[in-house]
Amino acid sequence: MSEKTPLLDDEPVVATAEQVHGGSLVEVAPDDELSERASVTPLAVRRRGFGVGRWAMLAFIAPALVVYLLMVIIPSVQSLQLSFTNWDGISDGYEYVGFRNYRDILFSGRFWNAVRNTLLLGLGSALVINVVSLVMALLLDRLEHFQGFFRTAVYLPSLVSGFILATIWKYLLNFNFGSVNTILRDLGLDGWAMDWLGNSDIVVWVILFIVCFTLGGNTTLIYLANLQSVPQELVEAAKIDGANGRKVFRHVTWPMLAGAVTVNMTLAMIAGWTIFDQVMVLTAGGPGFISETMAFFIYKVGFGEYRAGYGSAAAIVLFIVVIASTVLANTYMRKREIQA
Amino acid sequence: MSPNTHTVAPHRPEAKARRTPKANGRKRWTPAEAVVAIVILALVLVVASPVFYAFLNSFRTYAEITRDPMGLPTTFNLNNYFELFQRTDYGEAILNTLIITVVTVVLLVLLVPMAAYGIERIGGRLSKFFYFLFIAGLMIPFQVRMIPLVKGFDDVGLYSTLTSVILVHLGGAASFGVLLYCSFIKGIPIEVEEAAHVDGASRLRTFWLIVFPMLLPVTSAFVIIQALGLWNDFFVPLVFLDSSSAGTINVAINRMMGLLTSQWQLIYTGAILAIIPSVVLFAAFQRYFIKGMSVGAVKG
Repeated sequence: MSEKTPLLDDEPVVATAEQVHGGSLVEVAPDDELSERASVTPLAVRRRGFGVGRWAMLAFIAPALVVYLLMVIIPSVQSLQLSFTNWDGISDGYEYVGFRNYRDILFSGRFWNAVRNTLLLGLGSALVINVVSLVMALLLDRLEHFQGFFRTAVYLPSLVSGFILATIWKYLLNFNFGSVNTILRDLGLDGWAMDWLGNSDIVVWVILFIVCFTLGGNTTLIYLANLQSVPQELVEAAKIDGANGRKVFRHVTWPMLAGAVTVNMTLAMIAGWTIFDQVMVLTAGGPGFISETMAFFIYKVGFGEYRAGYGSAAAIVLFIVVIASTVLANTYMRKREIQA
Repeated sequence: MSPNTHTVAPHRPEAKARRTPKANGRKRWTPAEAVVAIVILALVLVVASPVFYAFLNSFRTYAEITRDPMGLPTTFNLNNYFELFQRTDYGEAILNTLIITVVTVVLLVLLVPMAAYGIERIGGRLSKFFYFLFIAGLMIPFQVRMIPLVKGFDDVGLYSTLTSVILVHLGGAASFGVLLYCSFIKGIPIEVEEAAHVDGASRLRTFWLIVFPMLLPVTSAFVIIQALGLWNDFFVPLVFLDSSSAGTINVAINRMMGLLTSQWQLIYTGAILAIIPSVVLFAAFQRYFIKGMSVGAVKG
């Protein structure tokens, strides 16, 4: 026994594992295949004799499940229920009014304006942030020196929360004392100086700009990790076949990144549909209702205007938008992923 | 295709090693590479410029800021930092934020890995059922559950307490945690646990002594992502903490902005103070950070 090589030493362990399986034939698989196998083989078959039972596992799940049900599932269902009432958010009682809230929402110009803004901010920011992140990842991937330093430098700005960033921007964009207008005036461009957050023609675009004022952070890291796992042989082969840099990207790198694009776009869109902090800080939905997003609309109507039933209906609509866009985007994007 | 298909990088360290050959130090900078480096640094500076601006202005007085918005601080004046703690509830707000962040993260690490393990090992249809039940939460925006939660907490007398904020966050983070942990636990061979079981360890011991240590990479990623998110959060405390509480950092800053004459210099100071812990956390755990974010790239 003692003369065995380390490799052979592994064997008894495997044998024990097989015995525990009640003699069922488990072929010795390399480590990376184990996961595959574990997810395919029904556990009940594999684990005879290892069953203190499902109750134990249920007990493992229970604490988190209770919190999750109480904090997420039940309130969501209650929201659905409240959306059919005229509850004001403070009084004890309410009446059921059927689909009146939904009808009111669909005929409300203010709501559709919020939907438009949400679409613009959600899709716009998802696209811009993903493009910026991909460019940053490609740049970082080109570097041979100080990779760690540059990666850190690119990540650092994203440590600042959207709320703090919006707060600083609010003062940068102040009409009288903001530095943006000050710089413009100093440059002699007085005509360009404007009330950035009070001008209803541009305010949503200003918010979009501030939401996108980032180098991507996490998104960049995900792209970078994926870029670095593109097999170099593929790139070499394409180059030998005469492909230039752009063609290599178009036909080799880009398809290999499809999975990362799906993940990043989905995450960015889910975040985008619920943009709230920036609107709350920068404009509070104003001027008038011009820059409201759906998230802000629900908050404002539910708590500020004592129309909790109406707000709940808007929340349900938001929920439907999130589900639909996530499913649609995933179906579309998964199609172009390489099945490897 | 296993669900881990897109768990990138960590499983392929050789992919990164390929790019950094040993001879790295002797390699020359090519002009193209230098240009890339300069472009990256320039972009970082541009994006970080608002923060630098706030930092510089945190040393100036209100009068100075409004007289010359682009001026530089003339003296190293920490008055704003003292004043922020003396004149406002900022100190209490920092404490509140810290409590919310730490307690939530600890509870998440106690509850979520165990639940994910249970979901993976319970087997059969129940596995699928619980998994999808939890994952569904990813698509439920906070706004959808917000109004009933306020009512519910009000009914039980917990409204405007830190407990309410912590509980709401726990529910919200459970989905992402289950997604993250489940995809990782799938890759852990069950044989190890069975061996421990044969040796007489209970399921609970097996989990905490054998399985949990193996989950460390995910746990570090999960903790960092959650801690940052909780520290930076604004919406949940805004909704659940009313004026009877000092609020969290972001809520406190927001209240300062709402005042008729907002003290710009104090707001800049508060903003800078809010960023510092994130940067410290990042500096301390940078290694796990970058790795963790790559682990986080699980297919959603």
